Amino acid sequence: MGLAFAAPLALLGLLALPAIYLLLRVTPPRPREIVFPPIRLLFDLLRREETPSRTPWWLLALRLAIAGLAVLAMAGPAVTPTATASFSGAPLLIAIDDGWPAASDFDARLEAARAIAADATRSGASVALLPMSEAEAAPALQDGGEIDERLRALAPQPYIPDRAAAATRLSEFVAAHPHTRLVWIADGLEQGGAKDFAKALNSAAAAGAKVDTLTGAHIPRALLSPQNTAAGLEVDIARASPEAGSSGSVSAYDAQGRVLAQSRFDFGSGETAKARFDLPIELRNEAALLRLDGEASAGAAALLDGRSKVRRVAVLSGTSADLAQPLLEPQYYLQKAFAPFAEVREPRPGAADPLPGLIAEQPNIVALADVGVLPQDAHEALVRFVEEGGLLLRFAGARLANGGDDLTPVRLRRSGRVLGGAMSWDTPKKLAPFEPSSPFYGLTVPDEVTVTRQVLAEPEPGLPAKTWAALTDGTPLVTAERRGRGLVVLFHVSADAAWSNLPISGLFVDMLHRIAADSGEAAARRAEDGARNDAPALAPLVTLDGRGRLGAPPPSARPIAGDYDGGARRDHPPGFYGAADAPVAVQPLRPGDELRAFDFAGQGLSVAPLRAGAPIDLRPFLLALVFLGLLADWLILLMMSGALRRAAPIVVGALCALAVLGAAPEQTHAKDAPSIATTRDREAALTTRLAYVVSGDARVDETSRLGLEALSRALNQRTSFAPGPPVGVDPARDELAFYPMLYWPIVAGAPLPSAQAIAKIGVYLKQGGTIVFDTRDALTAHEGGAPTPETQWLRDLTRHLDIPPLEVTPRDHVITKTFYLLDGFYGRTINGKTWVEALPRDSKDDSTRPVRATDSVSSVVITSNDLAAAWAADRNGQPLYTLTPGGARQRELAIRGGVNLVMYTLTGNYKSDQVHVRDLLERLGQ
Amino acid sequence: MAGPAVSTRAFEASERLAASARGIDAAGLASRLPDIVIRAREVAATVVHGAHGRRRAGTGENFWQFRSFGAGESAHRIDWRRSARDDRLFVREREWEAAHSYFLWMDCSPSMAFVSSLALEPKLDRALTLGLALSDVLMRGGERVGLLGLTQPISTRDIIERLAQALLSAGAAARGELPGAAALPAGAKALLISDFLCDPQALAERLTTLAANGAAGALLMIADPVEETFPFEGETLFLDTDSGAQLHAGRAQAWREAYVERLARHRDEIVKAAANVGFSLHVHRTDRPAAEAALSLSFALTSGLERV
Repeated sequence: MGLAFAAPLALLGLLALPAIYLLLRVTPPRPREIVFPPIRLLFDLLRREETPSRTPWWLLALRLAIAGLAVLAMAGPAVTPTATASFSGAPLLIAIDDGWPAASDFDARLEAARAIAADATRSGASVALLPMSEAEAAPALQDGGEIDERLRALAPQPYIPDRAAAATRLSEFVAAHPHTRLVWIADGLEQGGAKDFAKALNSAAAAGAKVDTLTGAHIPRALLSPQNTAAGLEVDIARASPEAGSSGSVSAYDAQGRVLAQSRFDFGSGETAKARFDLPIELRNEAALLRLDGEASAGAAALLDGRSKVRRVAVLSGTSADLAQPLLEPQYYLQKAFAPFAEVREPRPGAADPLPGLIAEQPNIVALADVGVLPQDAHEALVRFVEEGGLLLRFAGARLANGGDDLTPVRLRRSGRVLGGAMSWDTPKKLAPFEPSSPFYGLTVPDEVTVTRQVLAEPEPGLPAKTWAALTDGTPLVTAERRGRGLVVLFHVSADAAWSNLPISGLFVDMLHRIAADSGEAAARRAEDGARNDAPALAPLVTLDGRGRLGAPPPSARPIAGDYDGGARRDHPPGFYGAADAPVAVQPLRPGDELRAFDFAGQGLSVAPLRAGAPIDLRPFLLALVFLGLLADWLILLMMSGALRRAAPIVVGALCALAVLGAAPEQTHAKDAPSIATTRDREAALTTRLAYVVSGDARVDETSRLGLEALSRALNQRTSFAPGPPVGVDPARDELAFYPMLYWPIVAGAPLPSAQAIAKIGVYLKQGGTIVFDTRDALTAHEGGAPTPETQWLRDLTRHLDIPPLEVTPRDHVITKTFYLLDGFYGRTINGKTWVEALPRDSKDDSTRPVRATDSVSSVVITSNDLAAAWAADRNGQPLYTLTPGGARQRELAIRGGVNLVMYTLTGNYKSDQVHVRDLLERLGQ
Repeated sequence: MAGPAVSTRAFEASERLAASARGIDAAGLASRLPDIVIRAREVAATVVHGAHGRRRAGTGENFWQFRSFGAGESAHRIDWRRSARDDRLFVREREWEAAHSYFLWMDCSPSMAFVSSLALEPKLDRALTLGLALSDVLMRGGERVGLLGLTQPISTRDIIERLAQALLSAGAAARGELPGAAALPAGAKALLISDFLCDPQALAERLTTLAANGAAGALLMIADPVEETFPFEGETLFLDTDSGAQLHAGRAQAWREAYVERLARHRDEIVKAAANVGFSLHVHRTDRPAAEAALSLSFALTSGLERV
């Protein structure tokens, strides 16, 4: 438990306390002054009462406490709890796991170590530090400052150090200092000899040492065996224990560190999870690094080198395609062998000239199985392909044996040889182990692979250098030659199982994989280098640090051999090795590695978390105390001066308490509000309904509601549209998207909607909503005269709206024909005009067509006839308003107009097609 | 009672000491007088000086009416000059003149300039309002009203203005705590309005002087509510208006009971001093409407008149 101050100098303010004490002592609280004429009577009372001329001591103490607390708060005190008990001067050894499993919370580990070291230093003990990766040197006891510096400099390593050396160092240390204290800040993984180290700790404890084991709360996860196959980019995720979290995401980065894609994974109930990137092959090949999001460790990164790039392979067979018997087709074997790591392209069936078409798809490899002679243009295309860096992979066969072209690495003899046949003395030949200069070096040669027939190379001087694989008798099996920037590789056997069982062995897949990985320029260079350098060592290019960041390799990094398969080590940190354009990756974890959580309890170790909690900043508490103290002081003053009665402090105190606790209820309120709105919206979304805009004038709103109700009834009776009960909406507050048509009666006195509300209305209109504005001023408006207040209001409103040009509804507008054939839209009055969006003039056969329409619905309809008043009826269906000039016919026409409006907003220009039906029928009849 | 904290003031806190030295600032009073005059009119209008029938024949100097000589009357009462113009005998009747002049005195000492937050207006304003209103009421009842020591009793329609003028032009002599020491004529009535926070002994002596010739009268004691209830609590510094004396009370509420008792004793002494000379004492609090006091006082005065 350490108490620290952020600004210790502020504590000097405590020196001012005596001065405050003196000041407070001589300044009693000021009494209330009361002018009081009958004071003479009071003098007569001759009452001697003790009056506090000095501040009471408890008030003084309270104020001094407030001042002291304020000074303390300014100093910024913080308490840092540590997990270990206090120290008593015994030497301390801190052993730290500094492999990548500890990297994600390495700072917390270091902080814990520093806190422990600081505690020990305070108690006079000297401290020794033993990072697992630096166990070559015996830990030396150092003073606090040195240890702190070393701890600051400590960084996680990108591999899992072996704890065996550390265990030895620990035992030596305990032997030298029997009554020591040991603290192991463990990463919680079993890898790296945790068991042995625990044993060493236990034996040290038996020898008298006191052992603490701390571990972080973070349980590492790691990426394993990234696979870039033709099907997609996949990577396994391993975790030490299910507490590490069952889901997450993996990001793919290119060589420049840009994020290419992100993929989620979920362990579910299983032990492992896979993240899969479904990306185009070009993008997938760009990926250089996969990283587990949220983990900052080398183990959470996986590297993708050239070998894991997916190649596009164009496969062309010289044999005639026989789909009925695919197992006889070399194409089939090639396809199967390439499929795990490459994308296979085949010529389109029936293509007249397959090869140029395939080359046009820009493959990395063109595989020709038993193709003897190519047409001239195909040959030229192939030569160009190879010269430009392509890899031509050829397989022998009957046709090639009969007569090849010049696109072979070696000159071939006219006929091949048959081994182990009925007519031969020889037995089928096996493969010789691969030479170090061969790209296949490192692959094990299975015994069962035999070759019964092959084409033979003419012996010539450069033949051994061109040979990648040979038979046990030395005859070349695979030869390669550089052509321009490309490479020509020839398998001297066929791609099907007729000449050799190589194509059905696993070696075939591996060999093709190597070839595919080395395709391109690198392969060409390798073919060059291979001639003069037998064992190419790959120097580290960029390596991962412990936190999973790519950077310059550390000085300890050593080159790897070309076939290095040993996993990440101190001298071979994970990263890219070799040439920049064809790097070879050393993965932090080898395929098949798994993360195992270390069972501390099973080894008799009790494990504690890194810290009991975060450092507690005491300042808020102190400031709260100061505030409460000031409040109490104020209340006391009020009470002393008599301004408060006895009950009042309780009331004030309760109010203050409420104010402190007041924030919580407001949040719950805030949660409730939107759910109400959504209920209403949900209903509106489920049942289409008419809506009117609430104007604020109760009479108008009621008329609108009753009018729309009557219209809804009429729609329900006459049409197939059964609207729900109409609702009043406030454009500023309500979501409008659910209402196909808004009826908006204009009330001149109402305030204009806010700018946001107008913007919302604009969006509604843009999204296809229709607003029927009703200025209701047909009786007062004069054409050409000054606008009525309602019209002015509407103009003010639409000034900020994007309203298309309008026109008085023409006779041939579809709105007059959507359900009834109407002359106009009547309401309480019939002389008002109804305006809709102007239609484009149709010059051609304007007169003959019965209706014109655009593709969209007019977003604005403006009328002045007070439609809702004409529709409005009470519950018994009795109309509420008299009409001008009047009559049942006008009311009926008003309803019909409303029906047309609604049908227009719902069906759009559908009716404009319907009205052509007669013409269409006539034409059909002809 | 969870009432608000009581605050008090004497017109302006900053000028409190100056006011106590000079008495009530004449200018301040002058500026408030128009208001007071109007209020006095309003109060007077609400008080109807009841039917008292003093406009009748009686002993007096002024002619009232002629009436027929009745049998059995003394012959010297016949007005011969009138009787000569007719063949009947007439008697000249003179108006009944109550020799009742009213002398008003309103305390203008600094302690009257006190008002608390519970009161409607300062004691002084209330005293002036009541005094002027009563003068009007009395004038309309046919009485003459004068200011004690300042004016002779007069009876004019604009008596309020006249008296107010006289008050204004009076010097510091009129700012005493006690009325002037001059015997009133017999039959005169004195109306003394004050808070009577003076020494009861001195007051008794002064009243004796005033009533030496048999004048009757009434005392109206104006009191601020806080002076009666003493609603103070906590640490309080009491300041006097007149002398600038101070009293520090550690816990003011502890004084309340004793103070109320002391006030009652003081009132008793005032009552006793008034009763000695046959004066009545009325108490009026400034948180009550002025008309209330005016009404009760006018009744008291009227009944006193009829008694005399």
